[in-house]
Amino acid sequence: MKENVASTFVFILLLFLNTNLLNGQSPPGKPEIFKCRSPEKETFTCWWKPGTDGGLPTNYTLTYHKEGETEIYECPDYKTGGPNSCYFNKKHTSIWTIYVIVINATNQMGSSASDPRYVDVTYIVEPNPPVNLTLEVKQPKDHKMYLWIKWFPPTLVDSRTGWLILQYEIRLKPEKAAEWETHFAGQQTQFKILSLYPGQKYVVQVRCKPDHGFWSKWGPESSIQIPNDFTMKDAVWIFVAVLSAVIGLIMVWVVALKGYSMVTCILPPVPGPKIKGFDTHLLEKGKSEELLSALGCQDFPPSSDCEDLLVEFLEVIDSEDQQLMPAHSKKYPSQGVKHTHLDLDSDSGQGSCDSPSLLSEKCEEPWANPFPFHTSEGIEKPESPETNGTPTWEPQSTGLEGKMPYFHAGGSKSAWLLPQPPKQHNPRSSYHNISDVCKLAMGTAGGSCTLVDKTDTHALKSSKTTETGGEEKAGEQREVESSHSQTDPDTAWLLPQEETPFISAKLLDYVEIHKINKDGALSLLPKQKETSNQTETPSTPETSKEYAKVSRVMDNHLLVLVQGPCPQNLALFEEPATGAPSSLQQNQAEKDLASFTASPSNCKLQMGGLDYLDPACFKHSFQG
Amino acid sequence: MKMSKVYKANIWGREGCRTSRSSLAKGVSRTITTMDSNRLSLKAGSLPLLLLLVSNLLLCKSAASLPVCPSGAANCQVSLRDLFDRAVILSHYIHNLSSEMFNEFDKRYAQGKGFFTKTINSCHTSSLPTPDDKEQAQQTKHEDLLNLVLTVLRSWNDPLYHLVAEMRGLQEAPDTILSRAIEIEEQNKQLLEGMEKIVGQVQPGVKENEVYSVWSGLPSLQIADEDSRLFAFYNLLHCLRRDSNKIDNYLKLLKCRLIYNNNC
Repeated sequence: MKENVASTFVFILLLFLNTNLLNGQSPPGKPEIFKCRSPEKETFTCWWKPGTDGGLPTNYTLTYHKEGETEIYECPDYKTGGPNSCYFNKKHTSIWTIYVIVINATNQMGSSASDPRYVDVTYIVEPNPPVNLTLEVKQPKDHKMYLWIKWFPPTLVDSRTGWLILQYEIRLKPEKAAEWETHFAGQQTQFKILSLYPGQKYVVQVRCKPDHGFWSKWGPESSIQIPNDFTMKDAVWIFVAVLSAVIGLIMVWVVALKGYSMVTCILPPVPGPKIKGFDTHLLEKGKSEELLSALGCQDFPPSSDCEDLLVEFLEVIDSEDQQLMPAHSKKYPSQGVKHTHLDLDSDSGQGSCDSPSLLSEKCEEPWANPFPFHTSEGIEKPESPETNGTPTWEPQSTGLEGKMPYFHAGGSKSAWLLPQPPKQHNPRSSYHNISDVCKLAMGTAGGSCTLVDKTDTHALKSSKTTETGGEEKAGEQREVESSHSQTDPDTAWLLPQEETPFISAKLLDYVEIHKINKDGALSLLPKQKETSNQTETPSTPETSKEYAKVSRVMDNHLLVLVQGPCPQNLALFEEPATGAPSSLQQNQAEKDLASFTASPSNCKLQMGGLDYLDPACFKHSFQG
Repeated sequence: MKMSKVYKANIWGREGCRTSRSSLAKGVSRTITTMDSNRLSLKAGSLPLLLLLVSNLLLCKSAASLPVCPSGAANCQVSLRDLFDRAVILSHYIHNLSSEMFNEFDKRYAQGKGFFTKTINSCHTSSLPTPDDKEQAQQTKHEDLLNLVLTVLRSWNDPLYHLVAEMRGLQEAPDTILSRAIEIEEQNKQLLEGMEKIVGQVQPGVKENEVYSVWSGLPSLQIADEDSRLFAFYNLLHCLRRDSNKIDNYLKLLKCRLIYNNNC
């Protein structure tokens, strides 16, 4: 029976609760105190945020107790601070004391309490903004005008007795501007602004901060119109400025109209240079050759077209009187060589030290025409080179460092000379490259041609020194020598296939290396012997142009060039090759030669002296 | 009166207000004791003496702004105004340092540990009768207020010394906290010195007992348990922040009251 009563009671209670839940009613959610502030360190207010009210009217109460006391008090004033607030007046406020505050939310269903909040009034001081902001534009005599800003501390704060010391900050800006200009004013209640734009309307705001507390909000805006600062002085200056501008314009206009005559009056023209016999009109129209012939100059300068300078072949003569003659170039027109430019017939074919360098700096065009190295029977000079084992071209030992001609062959094993097709060999006018020449030379004279390997320079030097029997060769000189000793172990044939007896070891004459075509033919020009003799001055390397003679080929990839007796430039062609030079086989050498690629740098040939050939000149010729 | 002439001459004398006031005070106290003994009868000469004392006090206040003495002079007297200015600057600075130190310590060591709830009623100086709001402070006499300031300052000598010593041993104490602690200790000593000078000027000749609150929190700073140790530091820093704010507030009140006559 009792059990029945108990169970029914529980059942009814549950039913009651459930019905309430079905209605959506529940005890209130937890409220939360979110802010407590004191405007003057004498009173303070706390605001809370109610939780869910559970669908029922909820009553909120605030209870607190103070540090050092056990008594619990209730909020003395719920009204002054607005809804959901509690205001503690002076009587109820103690500074340097912690308040423990709790909000209780109660409704029909139940109640909930917020987390206790610990508040010390000392650290929650945030005053109201300053009041009575006044603006005034003051314009003292003979002084710049300024804006005088004045304000009063907020009403509640007691700064007179020193209870709360305030510091102020003002900010202002022209009405339309975007950014404020802020100034800190310390403890004073006035401020002067000097930097003003006249004619603008300014807005000003001020705020304050207690010595240990938070900044107040910015006070209400106050605006003022700055008058235009226009004085008589300014007017005068403006007038003067306008007048001078007008005068300036008039002068410009006059000058434009009669400019030239005036200018010639003031600044007489400088006479241009005049050269006797020089026809300026000819220059303007210009075939340069006509012009230069008028000047009495022959064969100079070479035309800008590299191809025009191409000499098809070179005749190598073995006697002293014989020169390398490109005279046969006309017989081989298939290459389309334009050789009208070179009046080589008049050139006795002998190398000339003074001959201009025919390798222009713009030599990046593909070498359309083979650059044949033509050797004639005359290029046979077995004896003298063999005997002394030294090429006729003495390397210059001094002052040529860095002036050695060499190829920058970008790290690839490529020769700057390609083997010529055999069919073009011709006893009288065959196309050969240096290696051919070397080979021929070696074949006839027992010398060797080598392309100097960059990496092997030192080896080469040493070998050279040994080979040449102690010739003085300074550090970095590399030479292409033709050593005429067949027993030289280091030497190897660069180009193999044919041996033609045309190239004689007697490469005594100087050949100007004109061009190297894409087939690898070396185009050489005979030097002028007369001029070479005349200009042979060992001490002036810069003034004379050097042409390298291929003295021998070494190691299948080293072309040893020897400098002529003329100027001291040593032509050295080197080629970076991997591997030991001595191990190169002929085929390998051929491959090397075939795959020559030059680095794409500019030709660094100097007009004053042929220092080296930059393989970049021949880049296009040797691609593939 | 002969006495009054003597006193009048001394106000503007070299000695300044201090000695004149002290001698006047002696004179008045003698008068008062005689008054007490005679109870209701006022001696005829006491009234002008009193008037003189009052006027002296008032005049001396304004004359207290005598020019600052040149450096190096032996018996030089820095004016009260300068002393107060300096004291207020020091107390303001000390409170700023303590505040920053506390905030940093809180951020670094005390996050989520609920330390603040435990700091209730845990300061060793809470037993001192310091005024708790503006009215109470304004009703406190300046001498008492000055003495209270001195007491609080003296009570912090020992804790600050140990705070610095123990903080050095604190694990990973950031340099900023330690340097601030060292600075506060130094500045506290200076402030104490300055206050003693002020008291010497305002209350000359009065020899008060050196009262201060004893701090016994050293063992808790050296406790083995890290959390308890950290709380001990936290608590000490909290109390330091509060007391430095008190001192700063009192001195600013005193300055405005004594120097500017409540017209800051």
